[in-house]
Amino acid sequence: MRQENYDKMTGYIIENQKKFYRLAFSYAQNQEDALDIVQNAVLKALDHYESLKNYDAIKTWFYRILVNESIYFLKKNKKEIASGEELGLEIPYYEQGYEPSDDLYDDINRLDIEIQNIIKLRFFEEMSLKEIAEITGDNLNTVKARLYRGLKMLKQNIQEVNL
Amino acid sequence: MNQMDHAKKRYDETPIPEELNGRILGAIEEFEEKKAASSQNNIGIGKRRYYKWGLGTAAAFFLTFTAALNINTAFAEEVHQLPVVGAIARILTVSSYKKTVGDEKVSVEVPGVEFIQNDTQGLSKQINEEIQEICSRYADESLERAQDYKQAFLDTGGTEAEWAEHKIEIKVWYEIKAQSDDYLSFVVRGTESWTSAYSQEKYYNIDLKSGKLLSLGDVLGEDYINKANDSINSQIEEKSKEIGIPFFTPEEGGFESISDETKFYMKDNGNPVIVFDKYEIAPGAAGAVEFEINR
Repeated sequence: MRQENYDKMTGYIIENQKKFYRLAFSYAQNQEDALDIVQNAVLKALDHYESLKNYDAIKTWFYRILVNESIYFLKKNKKEIASGEELGLEIPYYEQGYEPSDDLYDDINRLDIEIQNIIKLRFFEEMSLKEIAEITGDNLNTVKARLYRGLKMLKQNIQEVNL
Repeated sequence: MNQMDHAKKRYDETPIPEELNGRILGAIEEFEEKKAASSQNNIGIGKRRYYKWGLGTAAAFFLTFTAALNINTAFAEEVHQLPVVGAIARILTVSSYKKTVGDEKVSVEVPGVEFIQNDTQGLSKQINEEIQEICSRYADESLERAQDYKQAFLDTGGTEAEWAEHKIEIKVWYEIKAQSDDYLSFVVRGTESWTSAYSQEKYYNIDLKSGKLLSLGDVLGEDYINKANDSINSQIEEKSKEIGIPFFTPEEGGFESISDETKFYMKDNGNPVIVFDKYEIAPGAAGAVEFEINR
């Protein structure tokens, strides 16, 4: 049974690797880091495969690891930039503002991480709000509230994007 | 098209790097090797591959764990006592050491070749220096990889105590494939207990009569490429059936032709045996694949 779950899990990972990569890339915005994120997520998932009791939950279970790995990467990266500043290095600084640019994809990446996650999973990965709540570990209402807030920041008409 | 559709389109069109599949399979492999290494009697368990790694430079460094892993010490002792082969050459362990760096165990046995009579125009010196270099470089690099692995393990929430259970081992050793009055054939291998991705092997086939390194052309004659290809093509199907794993088709990057770079060793009966690395022509589950070519 355990072996069967393991086989299914590796099958799931291999099949959906491109999706994982696209999501990781949307956070990292460069190939090497995106590959690292996916690889680390896969290793972590395998290390804990026995904790997945019900295979039907694989999708949200795996995405949760992947999203966490992406957040971990972003935070670590920030820290490195901060320590770079201490050394007096010139690090380009990107204003975390909400001036809409030409491209919504870029705008989404400038949102708060919690909101980014939800928008990406909802509109790019086309997941249900319930699935997203399982992934982020928030309750459904928090997810909804964040989603609306995000869309408002992005100046997206809620009707237009078909929730 | 509204802006969100546009953003999704851009998302969906994120270029997928070629390495992705290799990295995923590498992670799976890393995990399985680690698992296999941690339960010592199960070295073969969980080694199933469905897809193959990207070929190219990386493929050159792959090899499988072999049964020889555990017999190297006995082997070395035996070899050490071997009489001079055909009064021309012998192979012996020129240096052997074990050390423990932190939790990492490193054992290295460096073979050397000694020619007795023939003037080999410095061949033995050249080979021995090269072997020395390969062995020590492998041990050093491997140790670095172990440290990186440890760092990554600790960074992702592992503890020192958990790490200590990993039983990290690095081995460099050699195996004699054949020795006769005519030639000496052996392989130097390096392996790491936690992954096979960096395993290395290098074959040496020495023609004792001429004191030169043997090429496939020396063994099979001028038409050696066709001869070897025909023989391999005629054996592939049977071999695939035998192990129950279909080999890659040429379109999938499977076997097309041997080259001057193709690895081989000599058997005692005088036939060369061509060796393909794990993943080179068949899924990883097949391991390294060997074909004996009749002369």
